[in-house]
Amino acid sequence: MRVDDLDRTIRETLQHEVAAESYCLEGLEDRIATEVAGRLPRRGLFDRLRGLLAPTRGARAGQLAVIGATAAVFLFVGWFIADRTSLLSPGGPGPALAAAAGADQVLFVMPAPGAHSVAVVGSFNDWEPTPLSDKNNDGIWRAQLSLPPGRYEYAFVVDGRWWGQDPLADEYVRSFGEYNSVRYVGQVGGGA
Amino acid sequence: MSSETSRARKVYIRGKEAEPGVYRAQDEVTLLRASLEGDVEAWGEIIARYKDAVFGLCLGFLRNRADAEDLTHDAFVRAYVNLRRYRLDKRFSTWLFTIASNLCRNRLRYRRYHPVISPPDQMEGGGDPGRAVAKEERIARIRETLDRLPQGYRAPLVLRYYNDLSYKEIAEVLSLQEGTVKTRIHRGKLMLKDELEKHGVTQA
Repeated sequence: MRVDDLDRTIRETLQHEVAAESYCLEGLEDRIATEVAGRLPRRGLFDRLRGLLAPTRGARAGQLAVIGATAAVFLFVGWFIADRTSLLSPGGPGPALAAAAGADQVLFVMPAPGAHSVAVVGSFNDWEPTPLSDKNNDGIWRAQLSLPPGRYEYAFVVDGRWWGQDPLADEYVRSFGEYNSVRYVGQVGGGA
Repeated sequence: MSSETSRARKVYIRGKEAEPGVYRAQDEVTLLRASLEGDVEAWGEIIARYKDAVFGLCLGFLRNRADAEDLTHDAFVRAYVNLRRYRLDKRFSTWLFTIASNLCRNRLRYRRYHPVISPPDQMEGGGDPGRAVAKEERIARIRETLDRLPQGYRAPLVLRYYNDLSYKEIAEVLSLQEGTVKTRIHRGKLMLKDELEKHGVTQA
């Protein structure tokens, strides 16, 4: 069926339906005229008030939205900067220094049922695999590492395959075409 | 403007006394102005001009005569009551269709939670028997498919093919993006076409 034929058929169908049913529109004008007789379209004070209120309300909502959004952006940026500065501040030590200041126990968990070997590699172990173990055979592999405060990039290696997106990560980064996970350990963000 | 309006109204009143058919010769804006002044006969003329279009829209949307009749009535009452909100930078028909379409959509929403017991198929026997069989068949198929088509696809088709609105106007009436309207019309037509071909109705 050609396109214009279809167009025509749709049009005809709709017109046909209306033609078959439009007898009920007989006298509609009079029925409505009786119904609205003596009523004027809404006007005057009410409408003017509406007109006055509606745009103001809308504008106010708009302003609020803009203020809210701006505040949110500032908060986020501020939080982000605070995070960074505390990391970079002299008090926020690099891994070697911080070892003395006390290290945190960080648990790495990777669900990998049926895997033969799972390891974690990252900036804390110079990207040399630290194996995870699954002692109770529930398919959840674990390793607890003691890490000084800092920001660490890492990834899991499951049976030789790179697994860069740990659901427990604080954020993800992309390097060399692969995802890596990032965790912040210790007093990050809390100030030195 | 108000002096103009009252002048327009006076013309009506004089004309009406002279000749009952005077409303028919008036242009839309004059009729609307008179309606604003409470001239229900002017509003009657507006109804006469648009009732088929509004009824067709409602019937197309709702697929049920009784509901369509109801909502056509409501749409004109509501339009009259809110006439002051109509702005001349839009076509009056588009404004009116927006009201009707919103009423229909409310009714459909209501229907979803309060389903009718009998299916709305009273439109089946509406055809007149004098028509050629093939044409009847085609129309019947399209009708059945329209009944089954989701409202989101049916509404743009009705506005396009019954009310002859542009894509832009359809978008305005249904509060959709113009691109969405185009897609839906295209897909709706594909569904209709498939249905026709499935039943071997290919001859136009």
